[in-house]
Amino acid sequence: MSSAFKPEAAFASAAEGFFELMKSFGAQAGAGAGAAPDPSALAGSLAGQFEQWLRATQSAGPWFSPGAGAGGNPAAGFAAAFKSGGGSWPFAPLPLGVGAVPQAEGQRSFELLTQLAQLQAQLAGHWHEIATSAATQFAARLGSLAGGVPTPDSAMKVYELWVECAESAYGAAVRKDDFARLQSQLANVSAALLVEQRKHAESLARAFGLPTRNEVDELYGQVRELRRELAALAQAPVAAKRKTVARKNAGRGTRARGRRA
Amino acid sequence: MRRSAADPLGFGDLNARFADTLHKLRQAASVEVGCSAKRAVWSRGKTTLYRYAPLAASGTSGRAARHARPILICFALVNRPYILDLQPDRSLVRRLLEAGHTVYLIDWGDADDSDRCTDLEDYLERHLGGCVAHVLASHDLEALDLLGVCQGGVLSLCYTALHPRQVANLVTLTTPVDFHTADNLLSKWVRELDSDLIRATGNIPGEVLNALFLSLMPLRLAQQKYVRLLASNADQRAVEDFVRMEKWIFDSPPQAAAALAQFVRWFYQENRLLRGTLAIGGRPVNLRDIRQPVLNLYATQDHIVPAAAAAAMEHCIGSEDYESCAIDTGHIGMYVSRAAREQIPARITSWLQARR
Repeated sequence: MSSAFKPEAAFASAAEGFFELMKSFGAQAGAGAGAAPDPSALAGSLAGQFEQWLRATQSAGPWFSPGAGAGGNPAAGFAAAFKSGGGSWPFAPLPLGVGAVPQAEGQRSFELLTQLAQLQAQLAGHWHEIATSAATQFAARLGSLAGGVPTPDSAMKVYELWVECAESAYGAAVRKDDFARLQSQLANVSAALLVEQRKHAESLARAFGLPTRNEVDELYGQVRELRRELAALAQAPVAAKRKTVARKNAGRGTRARGRRA
Repeated sequence: MRRSAADPLGFGDLNARFADTLHKLRQAASVEVGCSAKRAVWSRGKTTLYRYAPLAASGTSGRAARHARPILICFALVNRPYILDLQPDRSLVRRLLEAGHTVYLIDWGDADDSDRCTDLEDYLERHLGGCVAHVLASHDLEALDLLGVCQGGVLSLCYTALHPRQVANLVTLTTPVDFHTADNLLSKWVRELDSDLIRATGNIPGEVLNALFLSLMPLRLAQQKYVRLLASNADQRAVEDFVRMEKWIFDSPPQAAAALAQFVRWFYQENRLLRGTLAIGGRPVNLRDIRQPVLNLYATQDHIVPAAAAAAMEHCIGSEDYESCAIDTGHIGMYVSRAAREQIPARITSWLQARR
């Protein structure tokens, strides 16, 4: 079971967001002394919360989200996975110190981390664009829902409308080619960082006379090849037996026909 | 919700409801998943083949005689198969057992570092192939009925194309064939992934997959459902149903690096299944070689396997006996929604019965 499975934490976080919406809704109505809330002010407030939430939970897409599931971030990526596995955060310096890492390899990790930061900044731009677009759609569609004195039911309807607008804005933005490319780049850079980190670990393993990942993979390849040969050998007598039986049957058939004749 | 002049939005009531639901969620934390009796009958590596015990009630033994050919369910590698037998009133497996079918199910298990190089050929030929061989030998049959679900449907299509004599009838559920339909967001996002790098990284943790699936509709999947739970004032039983689903959603198993890298590249990036350019273990996989009856069930609002991705099968396979059924629900709804529960088991049973 994934460490991200904490429904009560996710529930608490979502409920908190909903209470915030209701507070904004109530405050807007209160400001107008019982009048309908101002759509653009409410939309602005929701957009702010949404952008903040996207930054917190989707900081670098699913590939590299350092926050764990607790506190309502079910979208935790490689980082959370490593934490849950009891391992250390993979992109931190190795416990044996920077001296253990050859300088050229350290330089490569640094470059990748810089690249990752740049990609995350690009992603943040998308979150802002999505939140703004969601707010515009919401303000335009709020219409009659904003009329009259707010009630619990109308607050729920407003919330449902907000989710619809936010998902619509999100869906439109994340389908664009530049966003899709960014997702792939984030995954590639995250993976490259992990591979780089493993290279450092490989050097250490070699120094301590331990088998490296590449060596283990090669051994696996040999086992696989042996398994294939074994399967072929196991099949060979079966096929040969079938052939012999078929030949014998054919012969018997000829003799039988001969006898009858 | 109660409200007053001092509390027009009913915050007090909502707070009480929040505390109550939170308490119910905590109570439901240890809720069980999977409900039908089954036993492991074969295994290879992390893969286990289960056979479900026939149901004693409602004279199923008589019906079983009519449905002598067993159904083998091949689920996706990326999710757990217990969603098909989540709880007594949400169980495709149980409905099939009630209809008198003999049901087998493949659980791929948790890939660990020793499975890093396990590839699609291994999963298809050694694991799925091993399960098929075991079922056929146990029933002294030459062919079984194969039910492929989601990614497991893709594996089932490949297996049927490669070993057509071992599959009498093929049923696919939410199975993509065209991975490049315009509405396939997952496909767009992984189009420029470096599959060699994925392979080099090692097994992909289940958490990455969970996060990826949630990112497709984050507000709906990570917020709205909880707010709806709060608003619905759910009783303990409804909260337990909710938690069972949550358990499954957050329970993606780790993925063997080699197999996942191949799946991303061959299917999502290069769309080889549709284009007829796929080869597994050096053997071409041609969907035209699928000439047995095929029932293709898919969802109209599926955000993971768009309807068009599944419906594309019709024009690719060689079967002249092809039937499809689009159900008005989403991806997960295909396993647990009321519409799916009412339609899918009955449809599968009547379709198979007509072909016995």
